[in-house]
Amino acid sequence: MSNKILLVEDDEIMPKIMERILHKEEYKIEHVTNGKEAFQRLEDTDYGYDLVITDIMMPYANGFEILSKIKNRKDGKPIPVIIVSNAGNEEMILEGFKLGADDFLKKPVIPGELLIRVKRLLMQYSR
Amino acid sequence: MEYSLYDFRDASLNIQIAIVFIVVAVTCTIIAYLSILTGRYKAYRREKKLARLHPVIDELLMEHILLNDELTSDIPADQVQLPIEVFQQPVFGKKWARQALINRLIHYRNNVRGSMGEQLRNLYIQLELDKDSLKKMKSRKWDLKVQALAELTSMNMSIADVTILPLTNSRNRELRAAARHAYIKLSKNEPFKFFDVVTEPLLMWDQVELFRIISTTEHIAIPNFAQWITYSTNKSIVSFCLKLVVHYNQISAVPAVIKLLDTKDHYLRADAINCLGKMKIEEVEEKLIHIFNSQPQNCRVEILKALGRINSGKYVDFLRQEFLHSTDFEIRKHAAKSLIRNQWAAKGMIDELIETATAENKLILKHSMNPLIKF
Repeated sequence: MSNKILLVEDDEIMPKIMERILHKEEYKIEHVTNGKEAFQRLEDTDYGYDLVITDIMMPYANGFEILSKIKNRKDGKPIPVIIVSNAGNEEMILEGFKLGADDFLKKPVIPGELLIRVKRLLMQYSR
Repeated sequence: MEYSLYDFRDASLNIQIAIVFIVVAVTCTIIAYLSILTGRYKAYRREKKLARLHPVIDELLMEHILLNDELTSDIPADQVQLPIEVFQQPVFGKKWARQALINRLIHYRNNVRGSMGEQLRNLYIQLELDKDSLKKMKSRKWDLKVQALAELTSMNMSIADVTILPLTNSRNRELRAAARHAYIKLSKNEPFKFFDVVTEPLLMWDQVELFRIISTTEHIAIPNFAQWITYSTNKSIVSFCLKLVVHYNQISAVPAVIKLLDTKDHYLRADAINCLGKMKIEEVEEKLIHIFNSQPQNCRVEILKALGRINSGKYVDFLRQEFLHSTDFEIRKHAAKSLIRNQWAAKGMIDELIETATAENKLILKHSMNPLIKF
């Protein structure tokens, strides 16, 4: 069964690139453009994703709020979260890891690197 | 019409002026509305055209450049021959479409780096889009020049010093900022060379902007800022270099900063003292104490702050003296703050001061002890 990935990103280009790259590896990608939609999608699917990739600065709710919500759940399977953002200053990175992010990538990203990180996390969490 | 003109001629002067005023106002309003309408219509048409073109560009870039497995070979990225023929469609002969392609390439490059990022740059060169950007550099319109600088910087294209250096000193603020930004990003060996040619003062906002660019640019070659501290005739450049010396903790520039203590300009002197304090240069404390009484208030405040920052504990008696006997409130406040910073060497003294001080002095000391209050 292919892994399901939720991509939360308000930029127009990044999802196109990620979707193509991750789709090539037969991952199933769902894309939403803001925090509110992300919360909605997570609730609707009962957190039925194997991995979440999120930006930080987005309308309605930022990536940290999404990350906190995912990581602070008491039950359900743990979901790895990767932050991919332009805002890659030290405080942001530390804040991300403090809230439980599994990885942090600063834009511009090397697509191959992102793919490897996704694979590694999915493997790690499936054990 | 004849009747109206007849009426107009017969009307009193006040009425005539009012009629002229109304006609002019109504005409101007109509012209303004028409120009807004035209502008919006043009923007609407442009958006519509772009909405049709963007998916085409995205598809071409994805299929033939970014996800083209044939391109991911051992050949260095800049030597790969890209399938540029797929981009040679009639639409890309048009100026607006070429501009849309440039913008899209930049947008992609802001998202991906590595070999994909290099292929995007290659495509920009092989499609000769760099020529479009360079043509805009020669334009007389400043906004086109700014656009060209942004494009060339994003694509990491080199620009001749002779073209860009004069722009770093332009009278137009936007252009000046864009040129400095581009120069720092593109000049591999001497990103700060434009400091030599800046004749206008660097405004505070310019300094903030430059600082942001410098601190976010990776692999930047850092020169010894002492050269500008010693020789620049532009005071704002000297002041900015002092801030950079602190940012990079450039110890090699300290002798030049110390020499600046003898400058006649007390604003620069205050900046130099500030720099030495932030760098915690202990050797300079004695000199600062020595010159203290001959300094204007801003320099005195900086000396007191520096003693607090250096925190050697050697001059707590001096700080006590200034706190108790100065007639200037600012001096007393900063002496107290620095005394608190030197607390490890003046614990007994501070306790004694709190016990014996006047109500106002107690208030200053308590204020200084509050770690949340910074000044």
